[in-house]
Amino acid sequence: MNTAFWVTWLAASVRLAGPVLAAAEGELVCERAGVLNVGIEGTILLGALASFLTAQATGSLTLSLVAAIAAGVLVNLFLAWMYVTVRASQVVAGLVFNVLAVGAASAIYRLALGGETAQRTIPTFPPVAIPWLSSLPIIGPVFFAQTAPLYLTLLAAAGAHVFLFRTRTGLALRAAGENPRAADAAGISVERMRYLGVLVSGAMAGMAGAYMVLAQVGFFREGMVAGQGFIALGIVIFGRWSPWKAVGAALVFGACDALQFSLQLSSGSVPPQLLLALPYLVTILAISGIFGRAGKPAALMQPYSRD
Amino acid sequence: MGELLQRLKPRWLEKRLEPADSPAAVAASVVLAVAAALAVTVVLFLAYGANPLAAFYELFHEPFGTLRGFGYTLAGAAPLSLIALGAIVCWRAGFEYLGFEGCFVLGAAASAWLALAAAPGGWLAGLPFPFFLALAIFASAAAGGIWAAATALLRVRSGGNEVLISLMANYVAIFFVQYLVSWPMRAPGSLPETAQMPRATWLPFLWHGGRAHAGILLAVAATLAVWALLKKTRLGFEMLVMGANLRAARYAGIPAGRRMVAAALIGGGLGGVAGMTELLGAQHRLMDGISGGVGFLGLIVALLARLNPLAVLPTAILYAGMSVGADAIERRTTVPTSITLILESLIVLFVLAAELLRRYRVRLPFSREATEAKEAKR
Repeated sequence: MNTAFWVTWLAASVRLAGPVLAAAEGELVCERAGVLNVGIEGTILLGALASFLTAQATGSLTLSLVAAIAAGVLVNLFLAWMYVTVRASQVVAGLVFNVLAVGAASAIYRLALGGETAQRTIPTFPPVAIPWLSSLPIIGPVFFAQTAPLYLTLLAAAGAHVFLFRTRTGLALRAAGENPRAADAAGISVERMRYLGVLVSGAMAGMAGAYMVLAQVGFFREGMVAGQGFIALGIVIFGRWSPWKAVGAALVFGACDALQFSLQLSSGSVPPQLLLALPYLVTILAISGIFGRAGKPAALMQPYSRD
Repeated sequence: MGELLQRLKPRWLEKRLEPADSPAAVAASVVLAVAAALAVTVVLFLAYGANPLAAFYELFHEPFGTLRGFGYTLAGAAPLSLIALGAIVCWRAGFEYLGFEGCFVLGAAASAWLALAAAPGGWLAGLPFPFFLALAIFASAAAGGIWAAATALLRVRSGGNEVLISLMANYVAIFFVQYLVSWPMRAPGSLPETAQMPRATWLPFLWHGGRAHAGILLAVAATLAVWALLKKTRLGFEMLVMGANLRAARYAGIPAGRRMVAAALIGGGLGGVAGMTELLGAQHRLMDGISGGVGFLGLIVALLARLNPLAVLPTAILYAGMSVGADAIERRTTVPTSITLILESLIVLFVLAAELLRRYRVRLPFSREATEAKEAKR
């Protein structure tokens, strides 16, 4: 195990962790407001589609990223309405929305393709080496020679921390997720806070989809999200609803994922599935309650009604 | 947002103190929801340049008008309805379990293990089919049931959240089966899958040359069993009380923890049997991705059936039929199969949203109540 192995493995971990981390940071804000948004899985897929179609039409990567975020916000406006105004079961509405998103993405993609079957590829974000920082040993190539969406994601993590713990609105949002009745009595609009949370998670999930298309693969496939939204839910739990710990949690998931590839290449002795299942097992332990309260927002999944 | 709506709300719309819950109001809201979903589908058909009437005919003709298509419909409905029934048992007991993908693949794996042992030379070789079937049902139900009960125990014993645990546990089960088919149970060949199950272990087909298998009969039996459990037994009654109000159930002396584990055993067990019917009735080979998301689609069937066990079979048959019809449409026109996913999920979402309509009442300016209210003001 030489340095080159570690650098390659860790850089791959960061690369694979990027999109799910973006989705997880948004989901974290949403869950802090008391809404479990299971619909991010479908939102990621629609964001990926929006960015792919925009990139194909305009060729602009920035515009594609913006389009994905806008699409994420737009569809989550509907989800927020279901969760907050209709007060439907959050789990049911989110899960069914995911099925709808799969159907809609496939239908729109085919409509846009117009019967063409060839796999179209688009240009992707090139890695950007940050001056000075990228020349640090190990840390440099692992963190500071990545693509623009990763830097944006790390900024978003910092932003989530500052927003949740250093601003009035962040405090109000957390209050809506811990004790909506008390928050309401204190003059906070629980509805508005929860809409805000869901829309933030929609924007970040849309960005996660664009991240996959524009910085990882360069094309769109109907099955490309494949449970990454659920992984983001796991990262939020594993990271105990803290923006910084979520970064670490995402890296653990990414590292197991990346190690799988190296193991498959090097030897056939360790089944990679064991490694892949490991982060989920740790997440289950984290939420099981065996090791005390996991820091779950007290009113998570509970619709709030004044009357 | 809500406040904005309040301000925009026309004067003739009035909020009710309680949502209208008369059968007529519920039926009206459901009909409206289905009509809205159908309207969206019509627009999609038009977008693909298909004649909506012809497309709808196609959607229902293949699955219900041809014997071949009906066979596929029944084969698809069997695992869907078993999972929906399992979900009903869990959810109506207040256990919001979402881990049916896991139960499904584990039940399929358990029955694959037994079926391979029944091959010539195996330790179950020569077992008459009825005994084998009983064993396979038991093993797949045990696999799914114990898997779901583990989540229930985490909730009951240490207060873990079953929604999040079961979503994560799905992946553990799926990776475990992926491991089984890539290493210990893998057949020689390039694909990670088991050998084909011995013919003697297949569920019998209902008619010669058709794909419908005996799994649908198991689903009928399970429907009656779940209905009887919830309506006719003490255990079922206690589960329903827990689902309606957990705290009240505890005050009434119901051992809620044990009942919840029981609900998970039964519900997860049905999910496991669903995996068995898919493996021994349709696929005849264990492979990665055998579920194809049926663990979640079964939940949609349960919701469309409004958690009523007797409504599950017709709903599942309609649902599976539309998938078969969509395949037929895709073969003949440019309309993709995903159109059924859109139609079915929109129906559920709109039914949920129609709940909102029942919270309001229309009061026209010249109606009797409005006039009376005006009189009273004077």
